[in-house]
Amino acid sequence: MQDSEFDRLLAVCRLKLGDSEKAQIKKDIDSILSYFGTIESVDTSKLEPSYHPIEVEERLREDKVEPFENPDALLKGTKTYRFYVVGPEI
Amino acid sequence: MGGAKDSKKQKIEKVNYPKLLRELSKLNDELRFFTVINENVSEGVPFSVKDNLCVKGFESRAGSKILKGYLPPFSATSVERMMNKGFGFLGKTAMDEFGFGSFGVNTDVVAKNPFDDKCVAGGSSSGAAVAASVMKNHVAIAESTGGSISNPASFCGVVGFTPTYGLVSRYGLIDYANSLDKIGIMARSSSMVRETFEIIKGRDGYDSTCVDKKVSALKKKKIVVIDQLMNGVSEEIKSTFQVLLARLENQGYAINHVSFDFIDKAIPAYYIISMSEASTNLAKYDGYKYGMQYGDFTKKYNEFFTNARESFGTEAKRRIVLGTFVRGASVKDKYYTKALKVRTALTNKLAGLMKDSFILSPTMPITAPKIEEARKLSPLQTYAMDALTIPPNLSGFPHVSFPYAYIKGMPVGAQLVTSHFNDYALLDFVSEWEKSFEYQFKHNL
Repeated sequence: MQDSEFDRLLAVCRLKLGDSEKAQIKKDIDSILSYFGTIESVDTSKLEPSYHPIEVEERLREDKVEPFENPDALLKGTKTYRFYVVGPEI
Repeated sequence: MGGAKDSKKQKIEKVNYPKLLRELSKLNDELRFFTVINENVSEGVPFSVKDNLCVKGFESRAGSKILKGYLPPFSATSVERMMNKGFGFLGKTAMDEFGFGSFGVNTDVVAKNPFDDKCVAGGSSSGAAVAASVMKNHVAIAESTGGSISNPASFCGVVGFTPTYGLVSRYGLIDYANSLDKIGIMARSSSMVRETFEIIKGRDGYDSTCVDKKVSALKKKKIVVIDQLMNGVSEEIKSTFQVLLARLENQGYAINHVSFDFIDKAIPAYYIISMSEASTNLAKYDGYKYGMQYGDFTKKYNEFFTNARESFGTEAKRRIVLGTFVRGASVKDKYYTKALKVRTALTNKLAGLMKDSFILSPTMPITAPKIEEARKLSPLQTYAMDALTIPPNLSGFPHVSFPYAYIKGMPVGAQLVTSHFNDYALLDFVSEWEKSFEYQFKHNL
């Protein structure tokens, strides 16, 4: 993977790496992707993808309100304004 | 154990918590297997919980700095079911960050092996395995994505059981890879595992992938050994495994060696799927909703988010990069979709082999390595260590690791796999095994 492509990928991932960490991850990435590519040899032409290892039937809960016993606890440890979490500006 | 009401009271009286907590705290200073010890526990048979399962009011950070200080306002379903049965919550156990590791070293609390404290405890459920090994009357709730129960169970000499995918609710699990994560159990005996499994399994309205299937106990008298799985196994483990096979043959099992030419592709397929899922799951740790607070709200969202994510460890960052890449539109069919199809191929073939047989292999290709040796392994060398545990995990087959030998004082585990929802057959097998083989432990809290 070219340096420019790797930098673009880091930007997509929203990751900023220090020099040594960047060198370490960059060093391994080509060999790992090459290893990943070996699955090409398995004949899967007649097979469907398995999104789950077992059959999972679609099962939804009834659409009804379930009050949470302690809503204040959900916001504990965060900066809040009234009952909202304060976050960075978009 | 606390399964039946009448027997529970009798067992509760036997737990001397002040003594246990005192000894546990002392041993934890040496082996570092608990991240949090619940000093207030006073009754019930003790159980520990891997750090990636939420326990109400107790720091739950999945071994990561990015969740430092996170106190969940609820408990995972499996944890709540144990508490409702009267078990005593003892604390949170150490693990690789978000489960990303095979040796328990990808975190700030590195658990040490109870048989040799210079060696790893395995991973990612490192602390759970140590806890299961050192305490007589205790059960550990752990979790496996690609082998995180079998692997440390083998290195620490305990029984490690991973149920069929979907039998135990994942509600309250700090997820790694949703289609692979399975909550399981580690303990000193199959009977303790069985009683815990009875409590935590079963449908849960809070997890749409949790199934309520009948669990069978179909005994198989044939054992399949996949030749290719033995390729990377050390000579000393191969040798002890031959002795195990001979012993099982004497007990009436027919041993069949079979060839499975693409079983080695389970590893890359697993890592593609798990990294893809992990890279999206980790996007929710943004530095202000829960856990670590980055706090500098003068920065715009993208910069804030990017800076907050510096708290991830190197392996987590590597998996985010790779997982994001293989899901990219231009390469998705080559990697991600192909890996999902390889999973179908592997599941079909393994299911065929297990129609009338168990699959048996050593659990790990080596005994527990030294901590410093494990740190020096490259990512690909580390991933290769999962060669034996990944196939059943990728396909969601139930499996159990049980101790069967000791090499130079270090325990060695074998891994038995069966068809989906035939979980009890594994526990029956290990229960039979325990009648003729005595497990060894170095600590007896």
